[in-house]
Amino acid sequence: MEKVYILGGAQTDFSRNWTKEGKNFCAMIKEVTDDALAAVRLNDEDIVSLNNQNKIAACVGNFVAEYFCSQGHLGALLTEVNPAFYGVPSARYEAACASGSVALDAGYAKIRAGDYELVMVLGFEMMKTVNSLSCGDYLGRAANYAKEAKGVEYPFPKLFGRLADTILERHKPDKERFLRALAKIADKNYANARRNPNAQARTWFMDEEQANRRGTDTNALVGGMLALSDCSQITDGAAAVFLASEAYAKAYCTKNGLELNDMPYIKGWGHRVAPLTFANKIEESRDDAYILPWTRRAVAEAYARAGMSVADMDFFETHDCFTSSEYAAVSAFGIAEPGREYEAVESGVTSMAGSKPVNPSGGLIGCGHPVGASGVRMMLDLYKQIAGKAGDYQVKGAKNGMMLNIGGSATTNYVFIVGK
Amino acid sequence: MLNIQTVSVIGANGTMGATVAGLIAAFGNAKVFLICRKKEAALKAVETAVGSVRADSIRKKLIPCTYEDFESCVGQSDWVFESVAEDTVVKSEIYQRIERCRKPELIVTTGTSGFSINELGKNFNTAGQKRFFGTHFFNPPYVLTLCEVIRTGKTDPALFSDMQAYLEKVLHRDVIETADAPAFLGNRIGFHFLNKALQYAVRYSKEGGIDYIDAVLGPFTGRGMTPLITVDFVGLDVHKAIVDNIYAHSMDYDHSAFLLPDFVLKLIAQGKLGVKTKEGFFKTVANGDKTKQVLVYDIASGDLRPIRKYKLPFAMQMVSHLSAGNYGKAMQALKDDASGEALICRHFLASYIAYAFTTAGNVSPKLADADIAMTTGFNWIGPLALTQALGGYGEVLKMAAQADFEGNLAARLRGIGEKGITAAPFDYRKSLRAVL
Repeated sequence: MEKVYILGGAQTDFSRNWTKEGKNFCAMIKEVTDDALAAVRLNDEDIVSLNNQNKIAACVGNFVAEYFCSQGHLGALLTEVNPAFYGVPSARYEAACASGSVALDAGYAKIRAGDYELVMVLGFEMMKTVNSLSCGDYLGRAANYAKEAKGVEYPFPKLFGRLADTILERHKPDKERFLRALAKIADKNYANARRNPNAQARTWFMDEEQANRRGTDTNALVGGMLALSDCSQITDGAAAVFLASEAYAKAYCTKNGLELNDMPYIKGWGHRVAPLTFANKIEESRDDAYILPWTRRAVAEAYARAGMSVADMDFFETHDCFTSSEYAAVSAFGIAEPGREYEAVESGVTSMAGSKPVNPSGGLIGCGHPVGASGVRMMLDLYKQIAGKAGDYQVKGAKNGMMLNIGGSATTNYVFIVGK
Repeated sequence: MLNIQTVSVIGANGTMGATVAGLIAAFGNAKVFLICRKKEAALKAVETAVGSVRADSIRKKLIPCTYEDFESCVGQSDWVFESVAEDTVVKSEIYQRIERCRKPELIVTTGTSGFSINELGKNFNTAGQKRFFGTHFFNPPYVLTLCEVIRTGKTDPALFSDMQAYLEKVLHRDVIETADAPAFLGNRIGFHFLNKALQYAVRYSKEGGIDYIDAVLGPFTGRGMTPLITVDFVGLDVHKAIVDNIYAHSMDYDHSAFLLPDFVLKLIAQGKLGVKTKEGFFKTVANGDKTKQVLVYDIASGDLRPIRKYKLPFAMQMVSHLSAGNYGKAMQALKDDASGEALICRHFLASYIAYAFTTAGNVSPKLADADIAMTTGFNWIGPLALTQALGGYGEVLKMAAQADFEGNLAARLRGIGEKGITAAPFDYRKSLRAVL
């Protein structure tokens, strides 16, 4: 099968509030496009030339710009920010918080099919255009809106609170121990974010004790057992990566004095869609060892496609929209048996110093979660780690890494393995 | 890394004392004694500290104390952060008291923004002088991450370097070392700009004065807040203390820029100190129909009047370009506009760059430190970043030549020359706001 390489890319500083800066989504897309082009040493003439040969395409991931920015037809937006993209085949891809990954999947498929040599995959979400209540309501469209979100204040913290409840019911860990493990996940992701110069929470204070002080003024409960410290925040941001065919990557390496062997490429992928409604999801998995069996299937299929296992993975970027989702991912990845996730968390296996670091970037909790950008941001972080370009949050000697990006209440599950 | 377990913050009743105590307890995970004159003030300081980092978990590390506990607290401490009133007599008494109860390895730093660190250091004996220096934080420190560190001629270099590492890696500060010069680096550059804006508000009082100058130098020129709203927030009295100190103790090519206009003295005498007294340059009043309006002090008439919406064409064009991320076009709109307001704006930006580069050259080892100071201490675009945004030093020279109002700007910039211009440490795009 055609190997698909990642040449590099860029993300915006996720701590920025673009509405406060007075800037619109075009400014955001322009900035990330300019920076991504510079990062991969391509200029406008290169894009025009590739496009004249019909060798380049673009895939834009976004969840609900129609609500946040009153803008649809997002695939065409690139033409508003750079005339070099006039004519470039481009479309928008959507799968809630996994929109970035469905855009990656499309770009990956286009190159594997031999249709294009180079694909720019760009994900973005500008969420601070509205207050947090409206934001929560818009995000409710990632669930079954009529059944699960309409008229509900902050529906998603409640859905992932139910996931935490289900973990307790089914696997029966000691409740205090389980909650402490969730707090440890939050503390770890904040700590990791402090080393990431683009992380939203890089200057924020959090410690394990604060994360354990749920239900206090500075850590209010927001969804069942989950408190503010268990949640990712509302984030403005964009990320872009360039995917390339083997032929293009070879020529690119020659031109830029790089070695093809050092270039990160996609080794495996998985894509599974679980029942949309949380109740159906949980009902379906009643007798399964995994509470989220389709998440586990997507991971297992990515391992199988890559011919690899958890033993080969040096790190993970996962979708910790809430601490309960990272907790469930620990067993989905195969780091721990389902029901024993807390042990891996407690022992520090998933910490930066551990053998299987999860979310070196800070993840969604620490780095931020501009929903349509998150999948692309994860892919960019896999690239940076494998290429040894992650700076202060580099996992030493990382050769292979996995990302898990989910949409809705672990409904759409996307997994990619990147390595060299 | 320095092992700092126990810290005394003296003068924790002040905003800086309390909020720095919060940082040390949170990121430093240290026990912090908050020493105040009165117990009630110390209890309040604990709440301020907790609120500043938004975390109850640090409360147990914050110990409210009074001066009765002074010897016991300081005696146990690894670091004393002195944040008492800006009064040399008061500070001197505190230092002498520290000397009587300290352990030899204690580190003492002062948060003074006005006094010479070398002069303050003379209050310590020979051993104490080695372990004393300045750590100048900015308000609010949880948000503004700048910390200027200033050593005396006697400070132990190894300790000073260890403390810089601690401030950077543990307390997550952006640390720059500055010379022991009046107002150090950030305030020297920042208050030059702010006071000059005040002087121009007087010069252009017929055009509107305060809100007119703020309209010319709005967030679209690379700042979170307009300059004279900033002074109102800082406090007119505090502004006066800073510029008077710089005027009295420094001499440079733009010395007169630190002369405080008379109308500010008049407002201070009336107790109109700004936001903290609910009236200064601005006053918000209720309209009687649940709406509010902001009044501004009109320098020409001496009365309050509603603020005006100036709708300056150059500013509106810049904002329009910035909102779509077209930074080059925004800067071109500023450069191409023939209006008097655009000329004032160009003058201020060139003057800011000239003064920042001159001061950085004298006060700090690196030009880039001026950018770190202004971006992390003031939330302003740094001079290197602004130079880059404007299209390079040549463009700044052109602007200065067109708008050399005091006759010292173009020559100054030519004198500095392009040689030392390095890459900006921060991205200018984040600082240029599409906001009038």
